[in-house]
Amino acid sequence: MVEFKNVSYTYPNGQHALSKVNLDIADGEFAFVVGASGAGKSTLIKLILREITATQGDIHVNGFDLGKLKPRKVPELRRTIGVVFQDFRLIPNLTVYDNVAFALRAIDAPTKYIRTRVPYVISLVGLAQKAKSYPNDLSGGEQQRVALARALVNDPQLIIADEPTGNVDPARSYEIVDLLKGINACGTTVLMVTHQHDLVRYFGGRIININTGEIVFDEVIGGADEA
Amino acid sequence: MRPNSVKYLVGQGFRGIWYNRINSFASLCIITISLLMVGISVLLAININEMIGAIEDKNEVVVIIEDGTPDNNVTLLGEQIAANDNVFEVTFYSKEEAWESMQEGMTDEEKSLFELIDENPLPDSYKCRVSDITLLDETVAEIEQLASVESVSASTDFASILISIRNIAGILFTALTAALIVVCFVIISNTTRTSVYARRREINIMRYVGASKSFIRIPFFVEGVVIGALSSVIAYGLTWLAYINVYDTLSSDFEIWTIFGVNGLVQWTDIALVTAIAYLVAGVVISAIGTVLSTRKHLNV
Repeated sequence: MVEFKNVSYTYPNGQHALSKVNLDIADGEFAFVVGASGAGKSTLIKLILREITATQGDIHVNGFDLGKLKPRKVPELRRTIGVVFQDFRLIPNLTVYDNVAFALRAIDAPTKYIRTRVPYVISLVGLAQKAKSYPNDLSGGEQQRVALARALVNDPQLIIADEPTGNVDPARSYEIVDLLKGINACGTTVLMVTHQHDLVRYFGGRIININTGEIVFDEVIGGADEA
Repeated sequence: MRPNSVKYLVGQGFRGIWYNRINSFASLCIITISLLMVGISVLLAININEMIGAIEDKNEVVVIIEDGTPDNNVTLLGEQIAANDNVFEVTFYSKEEAWESMQEGMTDEEKSLFELIDENPLPDSYKCRVSDITLLDETVAEIEQLASVESVSASTDFASILISIRNIAGILFTALTAALIVVCFVIISNTTRTSVYARRREINIMRYVGASKSFIRIPFFVEGVVIGALSSVIAYGLTWLAYINVYDTLSSDFEIWTIFGVNGLVQWTDIALVTAIAYLVAGVVISAIGTVLSTRKHLNV
């Protein structure tokens, strides 16, 4: 659950990134966030992840009131969110398995759980055969699946995908979104930021369009895949 | 925290040292050199203090009594000397005792020369010992003021040289220690900074998956403490080698110690354990504090 109430954010240099944004994403929803570069999409994500705090307004994410969240509680919030980036951010000297396991090791998960959970999530994204490969031996699409597995591994309530198809060739982009849709079908909320309007048109669903710091469009549209 | 996590974090710390080996090595060298410089200064000070103590123990102030002083005045003088705050032992040394002890050290030939003298030419004297050698000059001056005193003799030269060395060494030591701690912190900070940079990917991911602050910082702490401990071990080894060499050289080649009434340097076995503990504590504490301060500065979690 993500809830923004009259949220504004001004960067320390005085640049207004968001102004009076109201947004409500319910549990289990799938939403595309679109908008030109510099429109405020990244700011929106940073606010949800509590990398920055709103200059004005209230934000609630997965039951956390971000305005009142103490810095030492931020890791607790982030354990409920899985993040996927455009540039994958995999660790090159770790295998696929270790890259995914890293996310669990970093939160002090029991070894037994890591040993059963990691192979399961890797097979979920269709990379069971590549568990021992290194990221540089994989295609862009495969690397993004590893990143997705890493985001999924600690069973988050919300997945934030920041331009997940930006570095993936167009044909494979659809597979990534399909995967996200599949994850969403299991009950995880998905928020996907994208530039690729063809993807949005193809899949349809809830579209949130941000322009110069304001939400200018927020509606559900039908996708081509449903036709 | 789970045992496996502890193992993992410690392993990450060691991995960090290797990844960042050039800077780790620089840290290691600087901490080792700093420990050595401070350690050697301390050992020098311990030895100087030991010498001062030995001289204090053996230092005799000889008070020559005017010839022909009546017995009761001699007794009075003895009491007056004993009353001095800095004098802790006074013994009367009669002219007869002095005569006998002088003759003991003579050959028969020399003795025959003295047979011509009828009267004992040596004076009565008091031998006294002072408790604080730094006040020796004042004590001598006070005793010289007393009645029936012919002269007072005390060898203050070597003692005063040692005392001034100790005082200068004390100031230098404090300044040196302060400067070296600053240098160590700067180097540790730099090492941590490059280590954070080398592991920026991991740190970034750890932040996003919700790793706690301590979980992210512990490997850097391990890295710092391991470097500190390693520096201590190296510094200890070098100090040990240097000390026993200096000890052997000075003990065998110079008779200087007996001349000044000093037994020589403090034996290594007497200070080995204290030195080892001091090095380890200093090395580990400096790097631990340095790492904590610099991770706070360079690691934004």
